[in-house]
Amino acid sequence: MTRTTYRIGVMFSTTGSYSVVARSMLNGAQLALAEINAGDGPIALEPVVVNPAGDLAQYRALARDLLGSGIRQVVGCYTSSSRKEVIPCFEKFDGLLWYPSHYEGFESSDNVIYTGAAPNQHVLPLVDYLASRVGKRAFCVGSNYIWAWENNRIFREALSARGGSVLAERYLSVGDTEFDQVIAAILEQRPDFVFNNLIGTSAYAFFRAFRAACRAAGIDQANDIPVASCTLSEPELQEIGTEAVDGHLSSSVYFSSLNSPENAAFLRAYSRACPDGPVVSADAEASYIAVKLLAATLAQAGTDESRFVRCAVANQRLPAPQGEVRIDPQTYHAWLTPRIGRSSRDGQFELLLEARQPIAPDPYLVQSSPRFATSMRPPLLRMVKS
Amino acid sequence: MTFRLLQNFKGGRALVITRRAGWETTLETTLAKLGVACDYPEIVDGRAQLDVGVLQPERDILFIDGDLEGAVAIEVNPASKLPPVPVIGLVGVEAPSRLKALVNLGATSFLRKPVHGGAVYTALFLGINQFLLRTDMYEKLQDLESRRRGRRAVIRAVVTLMQETGLNDDDAYSALRRDSMRARQSLELYCEEFLKRRARPPDTPERPSSITLQGVNKQAM
Repeated sequence: MTRTTYRIGVMFSTTGSYSVVARSMLNGAQLALAEINAGDGPIALEPVVVNPAGDLAQYRALARDLLGSGIRQVVGCYTSSSRKEVIPCFEKFDGLLWYPSHYEGFESSDNVIYTGAAPNQHVLPLVDYLASRVGKRAFCVGSNYIWAWENNRIFREALSARGGSVLAERYLSVGDTEFDQVIAAILEQRPDFVFNNLIGTSAYAFFRAFRAACRAAGIDQANDIPVASCTLSEPELQEIGTEAVDGHLSSSVYFSSLNSPENAAFLRAYSRACPDGPVVSADAEASYIAVKLLAATLAQAGTDESRFVRCAVANQRLPAPQGEVRIDPQTYHAWLTPRIGRSSRDGQFELLLEARQPIAPDPYLVQSSPRFATSMRPPLLRMVKS
Repeated sequence: MTFRLLQNFKGGRALVITRRAGWETTLETTLAKLGVACDYPEIVDGRAQLDVGVLQPERDILFIDGDLEGAVAIEVNPASKLPPVPVIGLVGVEAPSRLKALVNLGATSFLRKPVHGGAVYTALFLGINQFLLRTDMYEKLQDLESRRRGRRAVIRAVVTLMQETGLNDDDAYSALRRDSMRARQSLELYCEEFLKRRARPPDTPERPSSITLQGVNKQAM
């Protein structure tokens, strides 16, 4: 049988403020590439790996270089700002970006295949869990870019619909690690929990500083003011360090502690291929899935031309480490299985809840959001002293 | 009524007035992702076969191709300049005359042809919410206009109460305002009813008055 080799781009910021997750994503992609190339399938993939180092201008330039060199399929990006930065380039060259990370939704580009979780697969299950099991008063913190802005908006509307409220929202620049004022405000407000949309080094510093501040104030942070995230993954728990690693809630479609033959095989292969880490994350699994689906799609399409790949990817299925994953033909997002976990001292997540089956992606929350936006108008009546 | 942003378009129906040429596929597939179905009314002798009278503003959105001259006849409300349902203009030839025609049909946002999938959500969000906002503002304007007309009754009621009770104008106004709140009526409506209750029968002689208002048309009072 003749084997066709396709060149593909692999674009992750393996240096910079969110490099820990990005390196685990690169590991996931490279593991899938190795398995595909070692197999006897009809195609082989030749990766061209680039590192934008978290710099948006570099993302744009490198995407142009990859697509300009004739590559049509690229697996990459972690942040939404980087994805939005490169999409015009993919549209111009009619390339396809295989985006392997959870994101805030409200996007459905014909030039992107989304293998990470849409908001109905991460933030809405988390709101359900928090409102029913933890409390209804939230304090939101996040990195100052579209992921945190939009994820907080969705969170606020969903929590309000369940009778809850957001006491405050605070944003810091990506990479910022100065949290004294934010933590003082949280301790003053005493929310039921903190909803965290900080990424990378900012998130790790926040977890450490918040735990320390609570300890100094005699507060059992993990129980009294738990931190809930849609981003927190196992390699990041290692970055947080042993003093503050446990008791954090995370909503994710994958945890490395999942008990299934597919996941056990994935973990064995990953640790063999990447002994130096970082350990497996949900985004590493999504990158693994993206490359596997890309290979299956190229094999079916018989070409890497995007219009044929776009047709062939619809309804692709994969027995992934998280369970079955398939691509929705209308939105080009993935059916995934939502889960809630709580971090433990060994740097893993204890599974608290999981959906019984993969659920359909709903990137615009057409099926799961109110018709009208929550009014942000201040109350007309206010209690005053007589 | 308080204006609230519509953010979920599920269950909507887009009526796309255009001659089908292939580019509309992107519009249709993107609208489907947003929960909006597409219909293409037939165009016969240059006129879209569309009964504007049965359109529902909570459901229907008109996408009108500006390159079709006079394909749709919409009766825009002469006072509000609003069409019966949100209108989004599809712009091919970007000429002032065609844009003006779309504005005259009440278009509140525009999409360039051929339609780019990434532009549809913005156009839909803007088109529908501008329509709702303008509808809300028009209703507020009507309410304010009605209240402005009602100020005559307020003035007359204040004068009448001053005549009847000897209150000064501030106290008479306060009394009427308090009573209108108790009756859960606007001040203007309450004053109209206050005056109606005191309207004398045609043969009743006019009561003497020691108070007159300058500049008021007594004939109309």
